[in-house]
Amino acid sequence: MIERVVLHTERLTLRPLRTSDFEAYSAYYTGPRARFVGGPVTRGEAFTKFCAMIGHWQMRGFGRFAICLRDDDTGFGHAGLLQVEDARLPELTWTLWTADAEGRGYAREAATAVRDHAFGPLGLPALSAIVHRDNAASARVAEALGGVADPDLPVRFDDERAFRFDAAPVEVPA
Amino acid sequence: MSDVVTVPVIETERLTLRAPRITDLDAFATFFADERARFVGGPSDRVGTWQILLRMSGHWQLRGYGLWVAARRTTGEPVGYAGIVNHVDWPEPELGYAIFAAWEGRGYAFEAAEAARSAAAERFGIARPISLVAPENTRSVRLAKRLGAAFERDIELRGETTYVFRHPGAEGAAA
Repeated sequence: MIERVVLHTERLTLRPLRTSDFEAYSAYYTGPRARFVGGPVTRGEAFTKFCAMIGHWQMRGFGRFAICLRDDDTGFGHAGLLQVEDARLPELTWTLWTADAEGRGYAREAATAVRDHAFGPLGLPALSAIVHRDNAASARVAEALGGVADPDLPVRFDDERAFRFDAAPVEVPA
Repeated sequence: MSDVVTVPVIETERLTLRAPRITDLDAFATFFADERARFVGGPSDRVGTWQILLRMSGHWQLRGYGLWVAARRTTGEPVGYAGIVNHVDWPEPELGYAIFAAWEGRGYAFEAAEAARSAAAERFGIARPISLVAPENTRSVRLAKRLGAAFERDIELRGETTYVFRHPGAEGAAA
């Protein structure tokens, strides 16, 4: 049994994805704003990706959340962790489904909460983030969160670059 | 949906139908790498197959039903999968099934599909599901018929002509 985690930030709630989020997610992934993340895709492919995000929680015990405002339950993005292979670092991801949600610092706020959860309760030592070279907004979020460009980390496509995040080292008294 | 769906475990004479697991990836990756998987959404590389396995798992949470992995009761080895699929572009819930190449010819597909069909009727109220079969997938067409399903119509699904078979209700009564 997987416990359903909910995270809160100053303005946001990160909660489990659910069926009612699909239409907004699908509108995003079938549209031009998905160009930096392998889209646009068909509605059927969007459903596969949406199912897979939820299945990731079952398989790994962590995954991606829907992003909503604290006082409005409508999902407008997703943020969280994914890990394709055991040998790779878990990836920190953040995505806003609508242009309206951009420019307010929501992605940074959500990704910060996920990073802190990963390094805190989950106890993960390091994370990566994969960002398309033309996605300047996402690169700024990665850098603001303490990500360091790391050309040694694997990426899926040549036009992507990877950032590495390390948990703060534990202070050992001399 | 806020409660986590627990995937029921179904036992047949030789198989256990259970939730997909991370450790099933090797068996699925071998199956989906092969050209034979073209009838069931493949072929697919390991990363793509990982996505397929995650989708199976997430489908249970979204729909409350889904595909079970069929594993041998004696050894626990996964031999294939069966259950109910309802992707967003599917006409209605479908009884889907596949057996990995190494385990063909033993009646596992029939055993898994029949058990999944019964469980779907009893537990999920899906009484007379369809099966969607590629016309050239003669093995699957034969199995649909052996299960008592009848050809109903053909449809266009993801750009391909697809046969719709209709399964009988409980005790084979095509009511």
